[in-house]
Amino acid sequence: MSLQKSVKSAGGDRSEQGDTTSICSSVTTQPDRHGFFGGAQYSPEPKRTVSPSTILKREQKWLRMLNNWEAFMSKNYKKVRERCIPASVRPKAWLYLCGGQLLLEKHPNEYEELLQAPGDPKCMEDIRKDLHRQFPYHEMFIREEGLGQQELFSVLKAYSVLNPKVGYFQAQAPVAAFLLMHMPAVLQRDGDILHALLRRTAPAVHRHLVKHKVEPVLYATEWFLCALTRTLPWDSLLRVWDCFLCEGVKVLFKAALVILAGALGPAKVRKRACGLCETLEVLRHPPEGILGEDYLMYHMQRLNLTEEDFEFEHQRQTARRRAMPNRSGS
Amino acid sequence: MAKTYDYLFKLLLIGDSGVGKTSILFRFSEDAFNISFISTIGIDFKIRTIDLDGKKVKLQIWDTAGQERFRTITTAYYRGSMGIMLVYDVTNEKSFENIKNWIRNIEENASADVEKMILGNKCDLEAKRQVSKERGEQLAVEYQIKFIETSAKDSLNVESAFYTLARDIKAKMEKKQEASNPAGARSGAHQIRANEQQRKPTSWLSRCSLL
Repeated sequence: MSLQKSVKSAGGDRSEQGDTTSICSSVTTQPDRHGFFGGAQYSPEPKRTVSPSTILKREQKWLRMLNNWEAFMSKNYKKVRERCIPASVRPKAWLYLCGGQLLLEKHPNEYEELLQAPGDPKCMEDIRKDLHRQFPYHEMFIREEGLGQQELFSVLKAYSVLNPKVGYFQAQAPVAAFLLMHMPAVLQRDGDILHALLRRTAPAVHRHLVKHKVEPVLYATEWFLCALTRTLPWDSLLRVWDCFLCEGVKVLFKAALVILAGALGPAKVRKRACGLCETLEVLRHPPEGILGEDYLMYHMQRLNLTEEDFEFEHQRQTARRRAMPNRSGS
Repeated sequence: MAKTYDYLFKLLLIGDSGVGKTSILFRFSEDAFNISFISTIGIDFKIRTIDLDGKKVKLQIWDTAGQERFRTITTAYYRGSMGIMLVYDVTNEKSFENIKNWIRNIEENASADVEKMILGNKCDLEAKRQVSKERGEQLAVEYQIKFIETSAKDSLNVESAFYTLARDIKAKMEKKQEASNPAGARSGAHQIRANEQQRKPTSWLSRCSLL
């Protein structure tokens, strides 16, 4: 893979830039298994092992599914979410899950054509300003002008040309161009939906947030707009995204509800977090345990929220927003 | 719980994307600089308590996303702020020109008597400079706002910028209190009266100081 090249020189570049400045988190010369050299999402411990034969079996299953995608998806797509997608198959599986494969077959040359276009200068400038500010400790993005940053630029540019109305939105960068295009007004409504659901799933936590006026835009903006890419440890993130691509945006809501209940669930945590800032601090750095893959997946399942619950809250909050002419945002 | 400070001031950092708002705040709150910052999505905050003429002043500083798209979210937080730092990047002409738009934004969304200050950041990058210090000063005079050039990287003027803004807010607040309680201001019992004043929240300003 071409990425390997940029890894080797990464250490040298960093020290060159870093000599006059202090780098705050520790940066190692050896990336973790997801390619991080440091930062909040660096996880040096090896993942608990699954036997090679199990992995092999899963891989074969997925490859079979991918080869008969149409038939499989129309028959039993729900099975997809129950299985963790093996790492080796994941890139291909995600391409199928998000519908990218279909589009790629329909318009094989479109990406290259989009990149040939000049692009809106304001957009291009905004994108350039953000290339190094996404995953600064990741081997793909650590080097300025490196391959990772170039590719990120291409993806974001292509999207802005394809969809000039949306153009470039800063929150696209962390997850590249593939993303739910939430605009602020929608975001505020999503926040309302989240709070309404929280009231059911964790009433004490909901009361605490209301009491201290902790509005969803203050803590959930980054969760939703970046689709948790800045929040979760990498293993959990991959797992949640497996589901996200199968079931859509309600997976993000479920994860958010589990994080809220996990972080502010204990009464003594709520007692200590006796104000707006203190509460936000807790939510900004939730305890590691609740962000773990197993905890998160298990509790998301246990929330017991149905499609209808989401639909109901969605309708209700949309109607409520519409009734408030001054606060409707955009 | 015992209160560990005398005043609480809410401050806000605004300005174009990439001018260094987060770096300025990080320099002030942690006294460090990080070249590997991620772009701010939405809104964030830091807290630092400073000593101002014998008073403990807790600064709650809100950091906002610079991109225009976020403005609907961020302007909602202008209202409660007592001081606003307008930041531009001296190596980026556009960010300087946009200060006027940011000021208009404040006028539309913040309290009328909010304290303001303009910061020209990244002044360590002399070779890349596009906006002279004189032009910064001129703009500041035009709007009658204080101005200072800063470098979050070299730790230049960041500390004094926040102290200046905090001191101006404190002075304005005490002037207001004196105005609404002139007898107390002249007598020796000034301090006690001032505290009494704080206990009954008459305006949003005094309410904030109570917290």
